[in-house]
Amino acid sequence: MNEQPVVLAVEGITKRFGAVTALNDVSLELRAGEVLGLIGDNGAGKSTMVGVMSGALRPDEGTVSVDGVERSFANPAEARAVGIETVFQNLALVPTLNIAENVFLRREQYGPGMLGKTFHRMHKSAMRREVREGFERFGVTLPPVRTKVSALSGGQRQAVAITRAVLWGSHIVIMDEPAAALGVKQTELVLSLVERLKAHGVAIVFISHNMQHVLRVADRIAVFRLGRKVADIDVHDQTTGAHLVGLMTGAA
Amino acid sequence: MAQAESAGRSWRKPRAPREPRSGGVRRLAALLANYQSGGLLIALLVMGAIFTSMSKNFLTHRNLTVILLQVSIVGLVAIPQAMLVLSGYVDLSVGSVAVLAVAMFGQMARVDHHSLALSIAIALAVGAGWGLMNGVLISYLEFSPIIVTLGGFAGARGVAETITHDVTQFGFGDKFAYLGNGTILSVPVPAVIFLGFFLVGAYIWYEMPLGRHMMSIVADKIASRSLGVSTKLIPCVLYVFSGIAAAAGGLILTSELDGASPSIGIGLELQVLTAVLLGGVAFAGGRGSLWGVLFGILFIGVLNNGLILLNIGPYVVNLAVGAVLVAAAGADAFYQRLERIPVAAAEPAAAEPEAST
Repeated sequence: MNEQPVVLAVEGITKRFGAVTALNDVSLELRAGEVLGLIGDNGAGKSTMVGVMSGALRPDEGTVSVDGVERSFANPAEARAVGIETVFQNLALVPTLNIAENVFLRREQYGPGMLGKTFHRMHKSAMRREVREGFERFGVTLPPVRTKVSALSGGQRQAVAITRAVLWGSHIVIMDEPAAALGVKQTELVLSLVERLKAHGVAIVFISHNMQHVLRVADRIAVFRLGRKVADIDVHDQTTGAHLVGLMTGAA
Repeated sequence: MAQAESAGRSWRKPRAPREPRSGGVRRLAALLANYQSGGLLIALLVMGAIFTSMSKNFLTHRNLTVILLQVSIVGLVAIPQAMLVLSGYVDLSVGSVAVLAVAMFGQMARVDHHSLALSIAIALAVGAGWGLMNGVLISYLEFSPIIVTLGGFAGARGVAETITHDVTQFGFGDKFAYLGNGTILSVPVPAVIFLGFFLVGAYIWYEMPLGRHMMSIVADKIASRSLGVSTKLIPCVLYVFSGIAAAAGGLILTSELDGASPSIGIGLELQVLTAVLLGGVAFAGGRGSLWGVLFGILFIGVLNNGLILLNIGPYVVNLAVGAVLVAAAGADAFYQRLERIPVAAAEPAAAEPEAST
């Protein structure tokens, strides 16, 4: 039902750690504007899959293709360079810097003229404006961009980290447990942001333990068990949480 | 399903199930953080006003020049030190590196009769070299900053004593005397050097990405490194500059005294650290303002000067500086407490049952 181009395709991925086969011949496809839910019990291979897609791990077998081009990532920076951003649980935000400073950390823009070019004077107001516009575009309501991240709630931090990924030009965003340990309101902030990014054509891999969250935002769900993908379900076909849990545990 | 839910979360600390409080406390904390250096400036001005009213000799061009001259050396060394502390590091070896550089300078210029320029260059290079050694050990090999530089505190002075055999060299000539005693537009040369470097430091701190990167290093090494911040190179370079600044400070003092005394630089590290911490740079790093450090330096200078003008003994001066530093620590603790409250309250009910099915 999604006619968008495939932006991320992993095929036949196998990853072993010593005697343990963490991933066994797993293939996934992700289209633009699609949310793919990744679920499975602890040790099912979700995190290993995230590692492979984000460039943190190198698969023993199999290929990763981005926008139809086969890629081999030596590190996460190379994955980022072709548009894959992973929002890890630790978020990579610096609490003592403010929102705008965090969004532009290591991507600072320089001001006009000689001061900017030669002496690397930052264009602070332009960066703040761009962050504000970015939040507006994706409908994120956050405190003023000069607020320190240490003063933000967990959901707000998550929103900052996700928006940063998209503002930096990533069209594939991998979210590892984005709503874990968040309250109801905070979770809503994150889930609605996921929905709006989807509407903007961003492709999202959404990893969560929470079936409700996955069922709400995902278009498709890949179920992992013991290193294998045991199901790839279109959510629009009346999937229930109980059915998914059955697949995860091997009862179904 | 509830089981899968709790399995994924069980490692997290349970948080108090509270609704978020109003942002009032948080805003107050942010306001205090932003105006910490402003508060110090006000205290500085109030103190200046009191001294002005109590002594007609305080607010004179001559006396203000004296204050500037007195704070210049500590101020110069405090600029890289403030950046180190901001990044989560510290350099306790600056006083001893200063004396080592001066010992080298005295030996070169007076005993071996090398040219002044070469002697100065070698002295600065000694400072840079010691700083590089600190930087490599601490930043790249991840030795403890306090222990390594405490070793340098003893070691560099030991090397200096070996070079000088505790003999003071003097008579470096008028040219060299200009460095510590000359004036440019009636401002003492050391003060010009200090203020010049302060402006460069402030530009780096506030206007260049480097300032933010320094702040990000201590806050979250893994996070900032994953984003590409040079978490090893930046502190290493700062140690090099700290060594150079210490050597330069030692040379300026040598010029003022016209003597390469082995007792130069005793206690310099503590004076520098006092100014940095009084200026509101958190000892744990990640927070602080270079303007605050300038105000801290001037505060100590004015306090010293004013109490001496009022004929109050030097013991009281030390007592006053100590009391002010403890007060600054109190302000910092208060600010941190304010900052902690709302963050805990803003993430309510992590494991509330209704969040799962």
